[in-house]
Amino acid sequence: MKVLVIEDNKELLRDIKSFLEEEGVICEIAPNYKTAYDKIGFFPYDILIVDITLPDGNGLDIIREVKKENIDTGIIIISAKNAVGDKIRGLEIGADDYLAKPFYMAELNARIKALYRRKAYNGSREIVFNEIKIKPDSHEVFVNDHILNLTKKEFDIIHFFMINKHRLLTKEAIAEHLWGDHIEMADSYKFIYTHLANVRKKVAETGGTDYIQSIYSVGYKFTDRG
Amino acid sequence: MNLFKKTINQYLIFLVLFLPIMIALDYLLVNHLVYREIDELLLDERKRIDYGLQKDGAVLSSYYLYRIEPIAADNFRPEEFRDTLFFEPYANGNIPYRTYTFRSSVDSQPVEITLKHVLLDINGLIWWILASNGVILLLLYGGLYYIDRNIYQWAWSPFFENLAKLEKYNVAQKEPIRLKKTKTSEFETLNKVIETLIDQIKNDFKNLKEFNENISHEIQTPLATIRNKVVLLLGSDNLDPKEIQNVNTIYQETNKLSKIGKSLILISRIENLEFKRLERIDVRDIIENILGNMEEIINFKHLEVSKDLDTVTLECDHILADILFTNLIKNAVQHNKEGGTISMVLDNDIFEITNTGEVSDIPTEKLFSRFQKGTSQKDSLGLGLAINQKICEIYGFRLDYVRTGGIHTFSLFFNP
Repeated sequence: MKVLVIEDNKELLRDIKSFLEEEGVICEIAPNYKTAYDKIGFFPYDILIVDITLPDGNGLDIIREVKKENIDTGIIIISAKNAVGDKIRGLEIGADDYLAKPFYMAELNARIKALYRRKAYNGSREIVFNEIKIKPDSHEVFVNDHILNLTKKEFDIIHFFMINKHRLLTKEAIAEHLWGDHIEMADSYKFIYTHLANVRKKVAETGGTDYIQSIYSVGYKFTDRG
Repeated sequence: MNLFKKTINQYLIFLVLFLPIMIALDYLLVNHLVYREIDELLLDERKRIDYGLQKDGAVLSSYYLYRIEPIAADNFRPEEFRDTLFFEPYANGNIPYRTYTFRSSVDSQPVEITLKHVLLDINGLIWWILASNGVILLLLYGGLYYIDRNIYQWAWSPFFENLAKLEKYNVAQKEPIRLKKTKTSEFETLNKVIETLIDQIKNDFKNLKEFNENISHEIQTPLATIRNKVVLLLGSDNLDPKEIQNVNTIYQETNKLSKIGKSLILISRIENLEFKRLERIDVRDIIENILGNMEEIINFKHLEVSKDLDTVTLECDHILADILFTNLIKNAVQHNKEGGTISMVLDNDIFEITNTGEVSDIPTEKLFSRFQKGTSQKDSLGLGLAINQKICEIYGFRLDYVRTGGIHTFSLFFNP
């Protein structure tokens, strides 16, 4: 997967790049409109991550330009403005998703993966981690080829973990992924705990390993390492 | 009391106080004139009688002659005017008279001659004066009333027009206020002062708003960076539990900061009227939808929800309506106690949501201001109600809050 990140904040750019590279993504960066414009003229990208407010131009223009050349490129807008107008306009001219700053890297990762799967594999690709297998389009989870009977939230949570494996997922990131703005943090911790307990139990019942590690009071990691 | 009534009342008080003074003055004046006339007439008659005596040695016949009395030669009573009463058979009563007594001599015999003239009925006079003065003052009052009302309507009209404009004015509005020009110098000065003041306020308001917006926007990207770095730190295996706790605190405070920023951006966007689409919103749909989203937490807290919802449509922006009702319902859920209740009523005029909860210590009037929150809820930012208030301002809704003990009720009036 080849991704171009267009964002004028160098630190954020570096963070996204290193995060995505750890995920095995080929990641190129463009800190301004001009560089971005040059790059999209030369190489085809699977996914573009575009900040709308750039020092020398508007991210929306880049989206229009890309859509003229390569209709298949997936586009995710990241914007500090969180303005509904921008979001609607962005989606109208062909962006696939919109993420308001500040966002969690795990969330961006989940959005990129979901978008890529939709674009490149028509959503049919399975996610596999050792004995656990997920079919995202049908919301099915298999452990040792036995299907798990999960609620929607339980599926969402294990899906989110599988996409962000080996990474610390803070409770805040999980809560925002699962409920958006509809929940306050204090309540969400209990929910996450309850849902995770159910997932662990159901995985264990089918003979799966519990890969969910609790990291102090901060969050969880889905991993088979140490 | 308006200016006109105030003025006219002053006139009235003045005229009422003035009436007795005027009557007294008139009475004295008329009285004085009458006496002078009568006295002059009697003196004149005396001259005529004196002249007759000198010429013919006889007293001329006179209508005013009352009596002639011989007196002793050494009797030196001075001549005098007096008021007396005489019985008049024709009137069958006493009639007031003015008399004038003087000395003279008829055929060398000293006599005292008394002349008399009937006096006006002075009591009757007072009533006449009272009546006439009353009518005059009444006419005067009517005239003043009429003139004053015209002045009030005509000369003050620019003032009132501008007053009405100022009443409707809102510093947040874009178009500048245009006060009506006037030739009255005081009003013109007032206009200039007001326009200058408004310009200043508007400028300050704009600067403040821009500052808020910029701050809220600009902090988001650095916050994103901080948060990512902190997550990296948290994910590294090199920290001991104590350090992780500290880093975690940084992480959570950063999250809080980011949420504050987002809420403030939302408030300023509502203020800037960025949500101006008017759609027909099915309120019951929205509420059911929100309840669906919160089902999990409602069940988790074992809350009992009762609802009586009519089908109600509102004209407003869908996003704002969603925020408004989400905040209200979220508020009722979040500040509720384990096993508490929420009841909702919706009809064409009102949406009322009542929930059980703890006894709040915030004064009701402060509840809607920014960053107000109960002590028990450390995680809430206290911005939800400020956002709701802004939304209500835009659509002319009114949001009221009442609590009795641990029962909290928010009432949203659609047509206050």
